[in-house]
Amino acid sequence: MRPLRIGLTLRILGVLVVLGVAVFPLYWMIVTALSSNSDLFAAKARLVPDFSQFGVFIDALAEGKALGWLRNSLVIALGTTVLSIGLGIPLGYALSRFSFWGKAVVTVLLLFTQMLPEALMVVPLFSLFRRFGLLDSLGGLILVNSAFVLPIVALILKGAIDGIPRALEESARVDGARPLTVLTRINVPLIAPSIAATAVIAFFHAWNEYVFAVTFIFTPGKQPASVGIANFIGELGTPIQTVMAVAFMFTLPAVVFYLFAQRHVVAGMTAGAVKG
Amino acid sequence: MTVLKQQQTSGSRSETRRRGSPRGSKWTPYLFLAPAAVFILVFQVVPLVQEIFLSFTRTSLLNPTRSTWVGLDNFTRIFGDEDFRRTLLTTFIYVIVCVVGAVGSGLAVALLLNKGFRGRGWARALVTIPWAAPGIAVALIATWMLNPDYGIVNRFLDAVGLGVPGGAILDSPKYALPAILATTIWQLFPFTSVVLLSALQSVPPDLTEAATVDGAGRWWTFRAVTWQVIKPTIGLLAILMTIWSLRRFELIWLMTKGGPVGATETLVIDLYSEAFDSKQLGSAAAIGMVGVVVSLIVVAGSRFVARAAEREAR
Repeated sequence: MRPLRIGLTLRILGVLVVLGVAVFPLYWMIVTALSSNSDLFAAKARLVPDFSQFGVFIDALAEGKALGWLRNSLVIALGTTVLSIGLGIPLGYALSRFSFWGKAVVTVLLLFTQMLPEALMVVPLFSLFRRFGLLDSLGGLILVNSAFVLPIVALILKGAIDGIPRALEESARVDGARPLTVLTRINVPLIAPSIAATAVIAFFHAWNEYVFAVTFIFTPGKQPASVGIANFIGELGTPIQTVMAVAFMFTLPAVVFYLFAQRHVVAGMTAGAVKG
Repeated sequence: MTVLKQQQTSGSRSETRRRGSPRGSKWTPYLFLAPAAVFILVFQVVPLVQEIFLSFTRTSLLNPTRSTWVGLDNFTRIFGDEDFRRTLLTTFIYVIVCVVGAVGSGLAVALLLNKGFRGRGWARALVTIPWAAPGIAVALIATWMLNPDYGIVNRFLDAVGLGVPGGAILDSPKYALPAILATTIWQLFPFTSVVLLSALQSVPPDLTEAATVDGAGRWWTFRAVTWQVIKPTIGLLAILMTIWSLRRFELIWLMTKGGPVGATETLVIDLYSEAFDSKQLGSAAAIGMVGVVVSLIVVAGSRFVARAAEREAR
């Protein structure tokens, strides 16, 4: 029994080290936000949060700028979720249930577009947006974010629909239901868990997006939180506690939602990215 | 129209349709995919074609509607440029270390979490945190932790006697890239480990047991059984990590902007500063194309290798 005990101890030790490495930076974000100035710049670092400093979160929100950023991020992220899933469900359905001319081209395109870096597409999209008056608008960002997240959303939903027995549709069809009715009444409710997972992916794709937001938005009042927080880096005017408090409020929703949707999201990402 | 209708009622395709797919005309699938197709066409394909066109022109950001066709000039020029060759080298180092580091650390963590113990569900969930955190927040906290004066990393390194002189890790040509790599791998390992963990759980336990009963050592069992089962997953992750690393922008841009003196400049960073600092849209597009082509080669090449291996196995 002795070697087993040692093995177990080592394993637990290993797990603790990994957890420490995984969690520490976010923990440090909280500690920094909840530090008094004297602790922050003291010779010896304070390693635990000072909860008497909690007011920093309230101050950061009350000041208004951060609240506006988070609101803009929310609008962009919700819009992207609705649009990309609204387009992704019918596309996934077509790819799953029909054989048609051009199907291979569409599939290859969905895989290929996932290789395109945002930074490469900024320039042509900028001129496109200028022509259509989409610059400096949250709606424009919703459109471009949806386009970038649509391939993965559609491929995940296609995979989910693949998993539904066709027999269920057949019976509805015998009753004379039209294809669109079959999709919305039979398939959509059955793939609800996958839709939820893609919603998390789409929402936080847009929530986190930076390149397009920083290039296409000029009015400070329309900036999302990703741009606002990025501007803090290398800037000296704002107290670091405020910076970290805002960053934490920006990070927390993403972490919480991913923790809940983790299994579905990870399975979907790998299936959608390289299959085909 | 009549010809089309005739084809629809005869032809083998309509037969499979009648059996397999929902009722509706021949055009039904196109109606379903049309909105998404238009969307991808407008926001991905058309801009990409424009970008390909730009890569063969000289175009200034200040006057983007006037382009001069220069053929392959941009490509010959960038490949003749020593800085660009250095960017290519940095990109390859970045991608390879990211792939090896993320897949390797992911596998180690997955093996650790694969045995049952109390609180494994919690451990598994907590490990996901770095991957769930937004890239912007990661760049911010990493920059703060690496701050030369008050950053916790320098305080720790000083305390154990490994301090970097002056402490400015992100300003050091020697340490900036390793710091960026560490941050990137920190963000990626949760993803690879969760994916590999589910692959490990599909390893049939009786197979590993049989190997152990036959007197096989742990290492041999791993190589003969476990590794064979997870090999496809490792390959898939390697491709994904390659594509993602070739695309990664904001983490590097926000931490170092490609500096100091180009030490962390990857293709995507180079392309962005070429377009917006040097205002050269043509050569920026050419740099971007190099990255896309590398991505394509990796994906096509890996599928080719996978197929060849499959054929050999048969």
